Amino acid sequence: MIDFRIDPEAQARLAEAAEIGLKELRPAGLEADKNMAPIPVGDPFFDRCLERGEGGTSWTGLDGKRARSPRRSVVERLLLSEEQAYWDRGVIIALPGPGLPENNVISMGTDEQKERYLGPFLEPDRPRWACFGMTEPGAGSDAAAIRTTARKDGDGWILNGAKCFIGSASRSDWILVQATLDPTKGRGAQRAFFVEKGTPGLGSFKIEKKMGLKAYESTSFSLDDVRVPAANLLGGEARYESSAGFKTAMRTFNAGRPQIAANAVGMARSALDESIRFAREHDLLGRDRVRDRIEAISRKVRKARLVGLKAGWLADEERPNIIEASMSKALAAQMAQEATTLGLELVGIVGARGDHLIEKLYRDVKAMDIVEGTGQVQRMIVARTLVGLPR
Amino acid sequence: MFDLEPDDELALVLETARRLAREELVPPMRTHEADRAISPALASSWEEVGLSTLDVPIELDGAGMGCLARVFVNEALAEGDVGAAIALDPYGTALVALLEVGGLEAARTLREATGDGARRALFVDARDALVSEDDAGLTLDVPWVAADEAVALVLLDENGVCLVTEGLAFDSVRGAGIRAAGGGRLRLDGAPVAGRWENAEGAGRARARARLHTASLLLGVLSASCTFSANYAQERQAFGRPIAHHQALAFLITDMRIALDAARLVVHEAAWRVDQRLPCETEAASAFAEVIEVGRTIGPNGVQILGGHGFMADYPVEKHMREARALSLLHGGFDAAIEDAGQALIAQERPLGLGQEGAL
Ligand SMILES: Cc1cc2nc3c(=O)[nH]c(=O)nc-3n(C[C@H](O)[C@H](O)[C@H](O)COP(=O)(O)OP(=O)(O)OC[C@H]3O[C@@H](n4cnc5c(N)ncnc54)[C@H](O)[C@@H]3O)c2cc1C
Repeated sequence: MIDFRIDPEAQARLAEAAEIGLKELRPAGLEADKNMAPIPVGDPFFDRCLERGEGGTSWTGLDGKRARSPRRSVVERLLLSEEQAYWDRGVIIALPGPGLPENNVISMGTDEQKERYLGPFLEPDRPRWACFGMTEPGAGSDAAAIRTTARKDGDGWILNGAKCFIGSASRSDWILVQATLDPTKGRGAQRAFFVEKGTPGLGSFKIEKKMGLKAYESTSFSLDDVRVPAANLLGGEARYESSAGFKTAMRTFNAGRPQIAANAVGMARSALDESIRFAREHDLLGRDRVRDRIEAISRKVRKARLVGLKAGWLADEERPNIIEASMSKALAAQMAQEATTLGLELVGIVGARGDHLIEKLYRDVKAMDIVEGTGQVQRMIVARTLVGLPR
Repeated sequence: MFDLEPDDELALVLETARRLAREELVPPMRTHEADRAISPALASSWEEVGLSTLDVPIELDGAGMGCLARVFVNEALAEGDVGAAIALDPYGTALVALLEVGGLEAARTLREATGDGARRALFVDARDALVSEDDAGLTLDVPWVAADEAVALVLLDENGVCLVTEGLAFDSVRGAGIRAAGGGRLRLDGAPVAGRWENAEGAGRARARARLHTASLLLGVLSASCTFSANYAQERQAFGRPIAHHQALAFLITDMRIALDAARLVVHEAAWRVDQRLPCETEAASAFAEVIEVGRTIGPNGVQILGGHGFMADYPVEKHMREARALSLLHGGFDAAIEDAGQALIAQERPLGLGQEGAL
C-alpha cells in the first residue's frame, strides 16, 4: 500500500543525526574547508565518533551475533545519508569505518577475510579506516581498462600500478585494490586484493588538493612490486570465474548510487535552508525573484529525494533497481548543482567572498556528479535498458 | 514506512484503465479530435466501467478511493487520449472541490444537479476567469474550457466555491488541443448562484486537488510522448544505426524519462497527502509546477525526436506537445503555482526537513 511516511523510530534516529550534524559534522566540515586540509588522523573529532558508537562495521561477526552498526532498511539509510550530508558531506566520508569496500567483503569475502579485515571494526580500539582503490590516472569511467596488474608469484601475488583519488587511502588499515591479470582481457581478468598498510612497495601517497569536500583525503598512491599472500585475493581463488572479478567492483558501485543521490539531496536542502535564512535576515522574502529561486530549489530537492527513495525501496523489496539507482544519481547530482547555483544567485556577491556555506556547498556538490559513475555513465546505464544503447 | 506499491484494489482499477486507454481511446484519437467529441457508443459503454466516480465518496454512491487513485487513473487514461479522458469524466474536480469546501451536503447538490447520467459539470478556478458579481448575479468570462456544454459550473476562489446551474453560455473556440472534449469560451451574464460555500482552508485543499487532477492528466500526455518517441527512436535509422543509439538522443530520451518519473513521484506524494488529510497545498502547487516544467522539455522534444515526421499530424507527438501546453495554462499556470508554493515555503524555517508530521 502506497505510503510516504517515515516511521517514528526512524524519525527519532534522524533527529539524533541532526543533533550530531549540528554539533559535530557542520563545524568539522567548515574547519577543514578553512584549513584546506583533511581532518588529521589524531583529531579528537574521531575519538568522539567512536565514543558515540560510530566507526564500526555492519558485519555481524562469524557467530552472527555482534553488530556494532545494525543494518537498517535501505530507505532508512538513504534518509540518514541525506540528513548527514545536509550537515557536511565531506565529513561523513572522513568518518572512520570500513567504508566503501565493506559490502564487498561481506558479500564476497571468505570467513578468514571477514575476520581479519572486518573483525577489527567490530569493537574498534581506535579510529580505523579502509578503502577501495579502483580509479587510476588512465582509467576512471572505463573501469574495465585499468592497468594495475596482478601476477601470480609462487603462493602469492605481485601487484604493480598506480591508483588515484582514493578516499582515506593513506590512513587505511587496508586497501581493497582492483587489479588485472591481463590488461588485454578486460573485465573477466580483474581481481580485488587486500593490501595492508605498510606492505613493502605500497607508497608514494599523495593527498590531492581538491575544490571541495576537503574534510576527507582523496589520495593517489603507487604499487611497486607489492607482494601479497594468496589469502589476500578477495573471495579466494575459486570465486573467480568468467567476469565475476569485475562484477565485484561494480557491485560496490551499484549499492552506492542512491546513497550519493541522497547526499546530493541533503546538500541541496542545506542550500535551501541557508537561502531562506539569508533572505529572511536581509529582508528579501518579499521579492518575487528571491521567492522563485527558493521555490525552484525546494522543488528540486523534493523530486530528487523521491526518486532516490524509490531506488532504495526497490532494493529493500529485493527488486532490480539498476535503472532507478542510476536515474536517482544522475538526477540528484545535477539538481543539487542547480540548487546551489540558485542559492548563490540569491545571496549575490556575498557568495563570491568564499566563506559562505552555499559557496562551499556549490564546490562540494560537484563531486556528486563524478564519483561512483559520472552523470554520463549513469545515463549510459539507463539508456542501455531504455533504448538498447549498445555497450 | 515508505512504500510505493499500489494496493490490490487500485492495481486492478489501473489495469482496467490502462487497457481501456489502449484499446478504446488511442485508436479513434484523431477521429475524436476532428469530431470535437467522443463517439456516443464509447460514452455509453463507459458509464458501466465506473472509473469516473472513483473519487466520489461512498456516501454519494462513488467508489470512495480518493485522490491518489484518481491521479493514477487520470494518468492512465490521458496516456491514451487526454481529450477523451476529460470528455468521459462527468465531474473533473467539480465534485471534490465542493466536497472539500462544503462537505457532503455541497457535493450532493451537484450530484443532484447533474443527475446520474454523464452530463458534465465544469470546474473553473477564478484565476482563469474574469469574474464580477452584482445584484443581478454572477458575470464571468473564461477564455477556454475543454467543453462545448455543461449543466453546472463550480467556481473556486480564495474563500470558497459557488455552484451555478443556470445561464452557462458557450461560444465555440477551436482550442489549442484537447478537442475531443469540445472547447468553448464560457460566459455567464448575471447568472443566479445556486449555492455558495465559504471555507478558506477547504478552498486551499480544493485547489490542491484541482492542480493534482490536471497534473496527472499532464503526466499521461507526457508519458505518451516519452514512450512514443523512445520507441520510434529505436526503429528509425540514421547514419547506419537506430537514432536512439546516437548518444545525444540516448541521453535526451533518458533525461526525459528521469524527469517524468520524478514528476510522477512528486504528484503521487502530494495526492497521498490529500488522502491522509495532511497539509497538501504547497506540495500540490509544487507538483503542478514540476509537471509543467517537465512538459516544457518533453513536449517539444517528443516532436524533435521524430524530426519532420513529428511535426505532422500522422503521429501523435505534435498533439501531445500542444495538449500538454494547454493543460499547463490552467489554474493560473506555472506562475500561480510557484507563487503559492513560494509563499508557503518562506513562512517556514526548514521546509523540507525530514520527518515532519511523520511524512516526508
Ligand atoms: C572527490 C572524489 C573522490 C573519489 N573517491 C574515489 C575512491 O574512493 N575510489 C575510487 O576508486 N575512485 C574514486 N574517485 C574517482 C572517480 O570514481 C572517478 O573520477 C570517476 O569514475 C570518473 O573517472 P575519471 O575521473 O577518470 O573521468 P573519465 O572517465 O576520464 O571521464 C571524463 C569525462 O568523460 C565522460 N565520459 C567517459 N566515458 C564516456 C562515454 N562512454 N560516453 C560519454 N561520456 C563519457 C565522463 O562522464 C566525464 O565527463 C573519486 C573522485 C573524486 C572526484
